[in-house]
Amino acid sequence: MRIAARFKKGEQVRFVSHLDVQRMFQRSFRRAGIPVAYSQGFNPHPLTSFATALSVGCSSDAEWIDVKLDRDMSLTEFSMKLNSALPNGFFVCEAIEVGDNTPSLSVLMSAAEYRVLVNADTPENAADLKTVLDELICGAITVTKRGKGGEKEVDIAPQILKATVLSACETSCILDVVGMLNASGGLNMELFMKALTDRWPHVKSYAVHRMNIFSDDGRILPKKPI
Amino acid sequence: MYALTEDALNKELLYEIIPRVEKPARYTGGELNMTEKKDAEVKFCLCFPDVYEIGMSHLGSRILYHIINKRSDAVCERAFAPWTDMDALMRENGLPMFSLENKRELGKFDIIGFSLLYEMCYTNILSMLELANIPFYAADRGGEFPLIIAGGPCACNPEPIAPFMDAIVVGDGEEVIGRIIDIYKAWKKSGEPKRSLLIELARTEGVYIPSFYEPEYRDGTFDRLVKTEPSAPDKITKAMVKDLDTAEFIGKPIVPYMSIVHDRIALELFRGCTRGCRFCQAGFIYRPIRERRLDTLLNMAKELTDCTGYDEISLMSLSSGDYSRIHELVPEIIDTFRDKHVSVSLPSLRIDSFMKDDLEKMQSVRKSGLTLAPEAGTQRLRDVINKCVTEEDLLRSVHDAFEAGWTGVKLYFMLGLPTETDEDLMGIADLAKKVAREFYSVPKEKRGKGLRITVSVSTFVPKPFTPFQWEAQNDTEEVIRKQQLLKEALRGVKNVEYQYHAPYVSRLEAVFAKGDRRLAGVLVSAYKKGARFDSWDECFKLNAYEEAFAENGLTVEQYANRRTDINANLPWEHIDMLVTKEYLKKEYERSLSAALTQDCREKCNGCFGKRCAESCTMNDVRHDRKTEEAE
Repeated sequence: MRIAARFKKGEQVRFVSHLDVQRMFQRSFRRAGIPVAYSQGFNPHPLTSFATALSVGCSSDAEWIDVKLDRDMSLTEFSMKLNSALPNGFFVCEAIEVGDNTPSLSVLMSAAEYRVLVNADTPENAADLKTVLDELICGAITVTKRGKGGEKEVDIAPQILKATVLSACETSCILDVVGMLNASGGLNMELFMKALTDRWPHVKSYAVHRMNIFSDDGRILPKKPI
Repeated sequence: MYALTEDALNKELLYEIIPRVEKPARYTGGELNMTEKKDAEVKFCLCFPDVYEIGMSHLGSRILYHIINKRSDAVCERAFAPWTDMDALMRENGLPMFSLENKRELGKFDIIGFSLLYEMCYTNILSMLELANIPFYAADRGGEFPLIIAGGPCACNPEPIAPFMDAIVVGDGEEVIGRIIDIYKAWKKSGEPKRSLLIELARTEGVYIPSFYEPEYRDGTFDRLVKTEPSAPDKITKAMVKDLDTAEFIGKPIVPYMSIVHDRIALELFRGCTRGCRFCQAGFIYRPIRERRLDTLLNMAKELTDCTGYDEISLMSLSSGDYSRIHELVPEIIDTFRDKHVSVSLPSLRIDSFMKDDLEKMQSVRKSGLTLAPEAGTQRLRDVINKCVTEEDLLRSVHDAFEAGWTGVKLYFMLGLPTETDEDLMGIADLAKKVAREFYSVPKEKRGKGLRITVSVSTFVPKPFTPFQWEAQNDTEEVIRKQQLLKEALRGVKNVEYQYHAPYVSRLEAVFAKGDRRLAGVLVSAYKKGARFDSWDECFKLNAYEEAFAENGLTVEQYANRRTDINANLPWEHIDMLVTKEYLKKEYERSLSAALTQDCREKCNGCFGKRCAESCTMNDVRHDRKTEEAE
């Protein structure tokens, strides 16, 4: 039996890396007594995979894990057992049975939505953010990206589907950002925020929260709104 | 300067600093099974003077964490030395040292307990104290500061750090820690001065109060320790847990998110070791041997797997293969956990205790590396150090391992052992070549592919409470010469990788292992010159230490490279680890004639002197075994 499950990663665990989340799930499955299937071979490993990684420091309402079980169990039992074993900060919100031939979640996904809490230096500057953001997404957005092969200039504009200010109160603003996301890459929120701070040096701090991961056709993952 | 409320500390930490450091999970806490207590009458902070991933791998701290948190009147939290990046940001932003659980400032605890696992972490104690705005020296701290205590294997010669500590626990901490908390609680209510607390603590077995003793020196060397508080004991006898089956273990242990050095269940089979290798401090200071029963271990393994979800159980002790029922334990534990995909590893196997069948079983779950420690290259030198292993034993065990499909072997040796000659060093190279030959003697279809032999050579460090405690360490030039000699001998040998380290850290290890109280001043000077994380190559600052010694009118040589007179008083003379000085002298003399001393599972060698009958548990073990054999 194959199950896809959406889980939350809370504020208190946002510094747990993706690799550590993977290991945490393996241990939680064992504590919960959920019969995860293992690969054959010399070094058997549990058959689990994730739609995508989440950057260290981000929280999320929509992380997705795909797991194969040795025997069938009800989705309610799966979620209840797993939730009782997960450490504080992680919570499974929904579980969906997936056919064996369904493509992996990383193939299905096409976009993701984020909420960004931006703390500006002054309320006056915070009030300007809407204009700044509108200007930013008008044309090409070149950012310097640091990678294995050194620094290079990239244009992230084609990956942004939507970026608006949802609300502003005193020095805090909340942004709603939808970006492309698929197995070969997508909108990097760190680069997006870098592009913003390069042009607008009033960000004191910010926090990124993933709201959703979408698919094109609504299979398993919700359908992309744009 | 660090006056922040707890809330401000927390927020500042999470939103400003943590995203900027390497491995932020070192500082966040919140792991599975962490204590949820917010407050208690006695607030205790276990401080580990190294990074999180090393500190969390220490079993002793885990045991104490559980024991203290089991009490309703106490809470135990954790703090680890912040890595250099975090350290710098904390200082820059005026953030004080804090605990992971409640993000409480260190200074707001009642008791702070440091783990002393190795000498080269001492400067980190100073950095943690400084970040907490707590004066280094006990003499500068009144009752308004937390009680600062320490314990762990280095406490058997606590003198180099003694002036920093209010109290030092010698021996097993399991029972003593409870008594210390009881005494502290009563004292806190009484409103008496700090000295009354110390006097009361001095009456507890295994507790040493450094301020009650004053050292005297003659001709530049340590002469004796004079007692200044009449009620304090002349000798501090180590505390000992007699029965490990009834003793508290780790309860529901914390499961870290980030990967730590020993990221698995540590099942302690027994404490102590009966072998008596003459260089090995652990082999003497943890005597007598105390084994857990088979059923206790199996129950513990089950409970620990259930509450942690770990996929590996490590059968831990100083020489796991010596466990009396190892051949029952290994198969049973493997069979019990196979379906759960939990593997079993034996980290400290002795070559002669090797078991082909058990190995094959272990292999069936998962393969891990094989590590063997012949320690010396020739039989003569192995006899000198009483490592009762023959070349035949070694080659037979690697042969078995190669047949079972293992392809990687790590061999540990020491360089600079007493009486060592260049011939002994050449023996190391020969042994490595013979191991390689053994691999190729296994038929191709039976052996694995890609042989890897690692020859790891460390520098011998004479340690207190071993028969070699009077010995000098080779000086730096000699160590370098020997390292190069071996490097030449191993050049071009196929499949062999040679590992060794710069000699400077081992030299300081010898200094602080055997040193006296004057070294506290050296530590403070070195710390002020930037020394910290001294066991990390990338942090070690030789200059800081060289200048610190000069500033204090002392030399490295006088501690590390000078043989101690066998009749002189030793700086740790007041510490009683049960093994008598007479026994150690006898063993030292025997070593010089390469005479072997039997394993005390076979025969009592009288290491506790007159106290053998009352303090040693070995007589029962020997008796049980004889009865079993008779049946």
